[in-house]
Formats: sequence, structure tokens, C-alpha cells
Amino acid sequence: MTKKTMTLNLTDAEMAALEALSVEKDVSKTAILRQALRLYQVVSGRMQQGEKLFLEDVDSKDKKELVVL
Amino acid sequence: MTRHKVTLRQEQSGRYVDAELIERIDAALAKRAEDAWQTYVATAKVEALAANRPFPVLEHTHWEWERKVSITERLLPYPTLGIECAGHVQGLMLLETDGHFGQLPTQSGSPLVYVNILATAPWNLPGVTDPPRYRGVGTVLLSAAASMSVELGFKGRLGLHSLPKSEEWYNRLGMTCLGSDPNKQGLKYYEMSPDQAQHLIR
Repeated sequence: MTKKTMTLNLTDAEMAALEALSVEKDVSKTAILRQALRLYQVVSGRMQQGEKLFLEDVDSKDKKELVVL
Repeated sequence: MTRHKVTLRQEQSGRYVDAELIERIDAALAKRAEDAWQTYVATAKVEALAANRPFPVLEHTHWEWERKVSITERLLPYPTLGIECAGHVQGLMLLETDGHFGQLPTQSGSPLVYVNILATAPWNLPGVTDPPRYRGVGTVLLSAAASMSVELGFKGRLGLHSLPKSEEWYNRLGMTCLGSDPNKQGLKYYEMSPDQAQHLIR
């Protein structure tokens, strides 16, 4: 894959969250950010088509809408 | 579309020839491939019938590449790859980079790249064309998928459901068969571990 490089400025809290996800998922910080972008693109595209994103409680089946920018 | 140089084996001459691996194919290229492949199959069927030769049942002529590529070409989780050689599309592949996880005992729950569909041009299939024009199309595509899996941080892990006629080929590549999947019309599910991927990429 052809790649382009950019500098990313994160706060301490953002970097800590990124590092924690990187350890939890056993992938690099770059991989986490790229995965987040892929997810965000798909969700954003679906929402632009009028769909909504919900989180469902496995036991109670209660649904809460996840509001995305 | 980004292009990289690869090589394929030209079966008739036995030589390796230059080809291009294309990242993120567009709908126009998919349509060109689909048109050429369908025309070739139709002609080859007529010729086989006229010569009283059996013609193999092809399992992947219904995949609607143009439609699928036009839906996914701007979506990051659905990368596509193609191979062009001698002005013709020799193979195509559609991948999914999210939502699929390892089922091998050693890779359980770890993310992998899923091969949604992979096809080589009909003139590269033994039985349709003898000898086939080019060998190695599927291997180059699958190797590129494994490389993509490494770059995404998935360590080369791949998963796919095989059509019956391709099972032997995936076995030869060293992928592990995890049995029939009732959720995919009983197709067998195959997985490639990081070690197996390294062997393929090398």
C-alpha cells in the first residue's frame, strides 16, 4: 500500500487512550487510528443516508442511540 | 488506483512476464474485466460444444464485479486489488478489513482480513483454456492480501470461504480448513495464520 505521512498532535489523555487500545487489541497505534477512520467513514456514510447507530444491551435488549459528529 | 510491478508465469512459453498489481480498482476496470471474461466464457463454450468437448462448470461467473466495486470503491474497509497483464485484467479480489476475527485456536478473536471474493480470468483456468495463459494470479493476489493484513497490524491473518473447486488450491497454499460453515451455504472456511502468511509473502 502506498502511504503518506502526517504529524498527529494528541493530548496526554488521548495518547493514553490510544496506547491502552493498542495494548488491549494487540495492534499498533497506527493500526488503531486507521481502524477508527475506516469505522468512522462507514458509520458517517450510513448516517448520511438517514440511518441511525444504536447500542443494544445484550440482556435487556434496551437500545441507546449513539450520536456521532 | 496505485500500481505495483509483479510477475506472472506465462504458461505457453514458461517465462515470467511483467504484470501490474492494482490497488483500489475502479468500476470502469471492473466492468472491462467482467465484459471480457463473460465474452471469453461464452465463446469458449460455443467452441467446446462445436468440438464436442466437455466444458467445465464455472463457479464464479455471477459475482457482478462492476456493481460490487461501484458500491465499495470509496469505502476504506473494502479494499480491492486487480492484476493487469498484456492489456487484460487477469484477476480481481475484494477484501474486508473489519468485523472478521480469527477462529484458529491460536488466533481466536484476533482481527483478520477477510477475502470476500477472488477470481482469476477464465483464460487462466485449466479446463477452460489449455494451457492456461498465466499462472500465479491467485497467489499474487492472496500474497498481497496477506501483506495488507500485516500492514493493518493483523500479522498476516486471512480468512475466506472457498468455492468447492478451489479447496485443493487453498490446501496447497497451507491454509487451515476449519470445516463447513452453515451460514455460508456450507462452504468450507479457511484461515491463514501469521506463520503461514509469512511463508506466502516470502
